[in-house]
Amino acid sequence: MKDVLERAMGLRLWPLMAKELRQIRRNRRLVVSLILPPTVIIIIFGFALNPEVTGLRLGVVDMSRSTESRELVSAFGESRAFEVRGYYSSSDELGEGLSKGNLDIGLVIPRDFARKQERRQTADVQVLLDAVNTNTAQIAGGYAALIVRSLNEKIVKAPTPTTAAQPPSGQASLAAAPGHPGARAEPPNLPDGSMQITPDSQGAAASQQTAGSSGPPPAPAAGLVTQPPIAMNVNGLQMSRASIITRIALLFNPGLQNSWFIITGTLGILLVLNGSLVSAASMIKEKETGTIDQLLMTPATATEITVAKMAPLFVLLLGQIAVALVVGFLVFALPVRGSLVLFVFSGALCVLAGIGIGTTVATFTRSQQQAQLMAFFINPPISMLSGATYPIEGMPKWLQPVTLVNPVRHFSIIARGVMLKGVGIDVLYPHLLVLIGIAAVLIAISSWRFRKQLG
Amino acid sequence: MRRIIAQARKELTQIMRDRLALVLALLLPLILLFLLGFAISLTVTDLSMVVQDLDQTPLSRQYIDAFRSSLTFRVDPWAVSEQPWKALEDGTARGALIVPEHFEHDLQRGVAVEVQILIDASDANTANLMRGSMTAVSQSFLATVLPKGAGPPINAHERLWYNPGRESRKYVGPAVIGLGLMLFPSLLGALAMSREGEQKTILQVYASSISAHEFLLGKILAYFIVATAEWVLALVASYFLFGLRLAGDPSPLLVGTVLYLFTAVGFGIMVGAAIPNQAAAIQSVQILGFLASFMLSGFIFPVSNIPVGLRWISALVPARYYIELSRDAFLRGAGWPAIWYTHVMLAVLGSFFFFMSWRGMRRMQVEA
Repeated sequence: MKDVLERAMGLRLWPLMAKELRQIRRNRRLVVSLILPPTVIIIIFGFALNPEVTGLRLGVVDMSRSTESRELVSAFGESRAFEVRGYYSSSDELGEGLSKGNLDIGLVIPRDFARKQERRQTADVQVLLDAVNTNTAQIAGGYAALIVRSLNEKIVKAPTPTTAAQPPSGQASLAAAPGHPGARAEPPNLPDGSMQITPDSQGAAASQQTAGSSGPPPAPAAGLVTQPPIAMNVNGLQMSRASIITRIALLFNPGLQNSWFIITGTLGILLVLNGSLVSAASMIKEKETGTIDQLLMTPATATEITVAKMAPLFVLLLGQIAVALVVGFLVFALPVRGSLVLFVFSGALCVLAGIGIGTTVATFTRSQQQAQLMAFFINPPISMLSGATYPIEGMPKWLQPVTLVNPVRHFSIIARGVMLKGVGIDVLYPHLLVLIGIAAVLIAISSWRFRKQLG
Repeated sequence: MRRIIAQARKELTQIMRDRLALVLALLLPLILLFLLGFAISLTVTDLSMVVQDLDQTPLSRQYIDAFRSSLTFRVDPWAVSEQPWKALEDGTARGALIVPEHFEHDLQRGVAVEVQILIDASDANTANLMRGSMTAVSQSFLATVLPKGAGPPINAHERLWYNPGRESRKYVGPAVIGLGLMLFPSLLGALAMSREGEQKTILQVYASSISAHEFLLGKILAYFIVATAEWVLALVASYFLFGLRLAGDPSPLLVGTVLYLFTAVGFGIMVGAAIPNQAAAIQSVQILGFLASFMLSGFIFPVSNIPVGLRWISALVPARYYIELSRDAFLRGAGWPAIWYTHVMLAVLGSFFFFMSWRGMRRMQVEA
């Protein structure tokens, strides 16, 4: 008996679906609006939301006017991150340039820069950063420290003739002068991702150890005297030549391609938002034109009407996943390291969640205009509180649990797991289960609201 | 002038009667300000990292404590028998630190110690910040352990200007106000204008004695008043939420806001006049106004990062100029000499939108 009933229902479902499909096919604007904006958004987001820092405008005050200071400036100019924009005669003028926004970063080289270097003292330079944009300032500071750092190594490795002529004991007293602690303002990053930290960059022993990494353990004082640069450690503790080499491995995305992060997150937002917008629009259209009453007069049940309405939209929205994948491959060389089936399945769950939201909204509103205005209340939280484009750890503590009910959050974790990390369902199942739960609850709410309204 | 005011009064009465529109106008900007201001933060704290201490000595524990006491990381121990990258794979941690055996021994002997650090780089920006921060922690640890050290040949002292605490809310805050003021006044303007077209009431305007520019100015004036109310609300809210304070002369901000609100409302009216269908007008404002202001205005990432092919578009985005001038007013305080051009550009864009809406309205009347 049940079988027969089900077959009858199935039979009625097909003509309804055919009607919906025909309506969608005639509505060319819908099809275009499902394909064009997502493509554009993914491309623009992938390119524009790029935190990489290049071409920062650098202003220089060179009071030293020496070979050494020019070397420092050209080291800045050679890097891709900075672009020397101009020279200023005083730090006041430089400050004015910064405050007018003509410059992003300033470099002040004091008068005694060359002299101090000659005497093997630490020469202080000032790096002024416009910290209005905190992120850029932080990264730029790191780059500046890196440049100074590698220049330091160069200076140490190539000791000037004056150094060699000086007695080791004299250097030692200078080097041990207080007021120059090893800690510097920013970590120096080496481009290959590995970096070395030494308390005294002047100690050539440290540099040698970086290069060789397996050099012989340094001999006590006697051995030090034979090597001029190491002589600086004569009166220091033996330990002061120690260093920590941090071997940093950037897993999953060694090239630091931010677009991979953005695409996998943005796709989730697009699936949920488009799902809700399109389904709300098609529901309301029946309501506005009054054709919903005609549909209800037919023997079809409310469930059949909804399923028939949503199934074609569902399939259409799945096409967005394909669009996003193609754009990701072609434009951004997005890798696929895990199972695409899992990826598409969780994408489908996102679409279902979106459809659930959309149909619920449709039961609360009377016109297209109202539904779209309602969307303004729903869309920003979904896209912002998802960790799709900004890390969740940056949000206030009390706000973070809210993101747990956001389908986009779970989708983007799964998407990144599959695409970038290459992990499977054995690792990602908690997020998949939550996503299934969210989709089920949203669909249940929407069908309950829908039936109540029709009843 | 009397006719302009009469038109503005009629519009305001209409808004007051439409509850949804009123809520949209006054409540939504605050919600958006709140959400964006808190959700978008690139300087992260409390990133979880797992630590394998293979040395288990006082010095290695001190090293790990250095990470624990930094605000950036939250340290979880990780069993020696487990592979640390498992924590990165399932997302329980963003980083892993492996302290090798003989850590203390080697450090005391003055040998270079190699510690292994794994970072989940699927979020490239956070990974970049983590890399810097982990090195900084290691470095300062070494500086505290070693009592004396010779200085490097060159020592760079870093000074952070204008936002020394690196509070990203102060950076995002002024921009969110700019974004909200672009979105909602223009949305209201677009709705009002396209409604005239949709319901053909534009014909009544045609038949009355009011002229096209008076009609438009009246509409703009009404929504300008609403937008000013939004602006004041947003300023008060961000004073408390983000601690925004004026950094200098307030006059560039005041003049800039007047120009910007005129531009924003004008943009909405232009869209509404071009598209006599409310649903479609909303969508266009959303895509043209919001998305462009969100992505191409230097809202988060600098305009100079946008590829050259797309960068010229950002010159046409009013929010870009307003964000620039309000960041100056709240953080930098350089005043007129630094940002006069933003006012010029806003005025140019505003007049362009006004002219286009005037033309759109003429066409609308012909078609209606």
